[in-house]
Amino acid sequence: MSFINKMLPNVSLIWPDVWQATLETLYMTIVSAIIAGILGLALGVWLVVTDQNGITPHPVTYNILDKLVNIFRSIPFVILLTVIYPLTKAIVGTSIGNTAALVPLVVGTIPFYARQVQTALVQVDPGVIEAAQAMGASNVDIIFRVYLREGLPDLIRVSVLTLISLIGLTAMAGAVGAGGLGNLAVSIGYQRYQSDVTIVAMLIILVMVFLVQGIGDWLTRRTTHV
Amino acid sequence: MSAPIIDLKDITVTFKNKTSTVHAVKNVSLQVAKGDVYGIVGYSGAGKSTLVRTINYLQVPTSGTATVNGQVMGQLSKNALRLARRKIGMIFQHFNLMNSRTIAANIDYPLRYSDLNTAQRQKKVADLLTLVGLQDKADAYPAQLSGGQKQRVGIARALANDPGILLCDEATSALDPKTTQEILGLLKHLNQTLGITIVLITHEMAAVKAVCQHVAVMEQGEIIERGSLLDIFSQPQQPLTKDFINTAAQLDVALAEVRKQPAVVNLADNARLLHLTYVGASTDAPLIASLYQQYGVTANILYGSVEFLQDTPVGNLIVILSGDPAQFPEAFADLRGQGVTVTELDPKGTVVA
Repeated sequence: MSFINKMLPNVSLIWPDVWQATLETLYMTIVSAIIAGILGLALGVWLVVTDQNGITPHPVTYNILDKLVNIFRSIPFVILLTVIYPLTKAIVGTSIGNTAALVPLVVGTIPFYARQVQTALVQVDPGVIEAAQAMGASNVDIIFRVYLREGLPDLIRVSVLTLISLIGLTAMAGAVGAGGLGNLAVSIGYQRYQSDVTIVAMLIILVMVFLVQGIGDWLTRRTTHV
Repeated sequence: MSAPIIDLKDITVTFKNKTSTVHAVKNVSLQVAKGDVYGIVGYSGAGKSTLVRTINYLQVPTSGTATVNGQVMGQLSKNALRLARRKIGMIFQHFNLMNSRTIAANIDYPLRYSDLNTAQRQKKVADLLTLVGLQDKADAYPAQLSGGQKQRVGIARALANDPGILLCDEATSALDPKTTQEILGLLKHLNQTLGITIVLITHEMAAVKAVCQHVAVMEQGEIIERGSLLDIFSQPQQPLTKDFINTAAQLDVALAEVRKQPAVVNLADNARLLHLTYVGASTDAPLIASLYQQYGVTANILYGSVEFLQDTPVGNLIVILSGDPAQFPEAFADLRGQGVTVTELDPKGTVVA
């Protein structure tokens, strides 16, 4: 332990803060992943089924959703953070802190994830969809029992990708008022020249990313039968 | 005759996009009797897949009516249409199995819409697996199966809700010849044991020959010729039909060889190169012998084959007849009178029939 303390002189004084920041990052990541995951999945499915080759083609709906997704994906996250601050305030009551950061995180992640879900699901063999229709399956059946089931390995893959990018976003949110490891790295590590704090924050984030990637790969293997 | 189980009336399907309009199916009417095995042959793009999809309304026709199992498909509500589809099985060229599910789960999938309880569903799946000869594959995944096995699973799945009709969309086109014969044999068996009506779409006349009772030939969205298998094979009218049949009988290959032979290349003035086709009873009559006795015409057989279509022999001969040319018209007429189709072939030509 003394060796670690020697290597990390500043971190060793603020271990409780590091732990706290880690929990905050986990909190922001997990909660926004759940909310954005559900909404993004729904939006992605909506895009797939209203596509002209989908099971209920609806060009008007598709085009509106498609444009919205494109617009929101084009906004840099740092700008999004500040642009939607009135919305954040309306929903959460404040625009600073971890919970407030959830709003831009969710808004920033939904279109990204929706597009990823869409690309994953359009790869489901149209023949299998047609076979299900020929068997008398309803559209709801086809969404839940064919699209989401057959596309599961790809969905897991894109979910991992999204989750990793979300971890990155929480760090950025941290820099503008939310807590977490991003905040720790910037406000202590960078601004007070305590680079060991920055490095530790980075390492913890790397561990999170590797864990997510590892679990995702394992799940993909488990669900792939090709 | 009772009402046909499938009755397509004046079906037209038109696909439109910004730049062009494609008439996939043009004003086609088709009746299929209960228990029949009906083949629809044509090259790709002829509109046969589109036509067959109007039977279960996977393709809504632009105009015309499809009446299946006594129900007018176009008048059904969404829900009623789904129920109707459960009584129309369908199998596909690329099998279209769900890779994420085991074989048993694939077959069980359509059963979720049935009234059976879990135990009954399990038994049904086991029965279907036995029916298609895959008892030992219940827990395998589609990726672990060969093409023929996958199509067997497709068939078992299509039969899960005890349909009266089975639509086969190029079901053997992705399979090797031996497996094709096995699958066709299975379809024939199902037709004979379950009485299921089969509509089979293919570009291979050999597949039609193996199982079908009736045939329709499609070209450019229209049925250009139709009839019983025997009639179509023994007396094809349209060039495309002849083309399909000759390819199936490998007559085109044989004729190409025949045309290289010296006897054909240097065909004498008093000789004719002929293609003779005969069906059933005429096969037994001593045709060639009587030609010589009555008209002094000798026959040199260059190629011959006899095939059995629905247990009726169909013969194909390529012969050179020589003798007194004055006797030929009468000799040919006599042959035709005995039910033999006589086609004179150009010894140098490339046209098959």
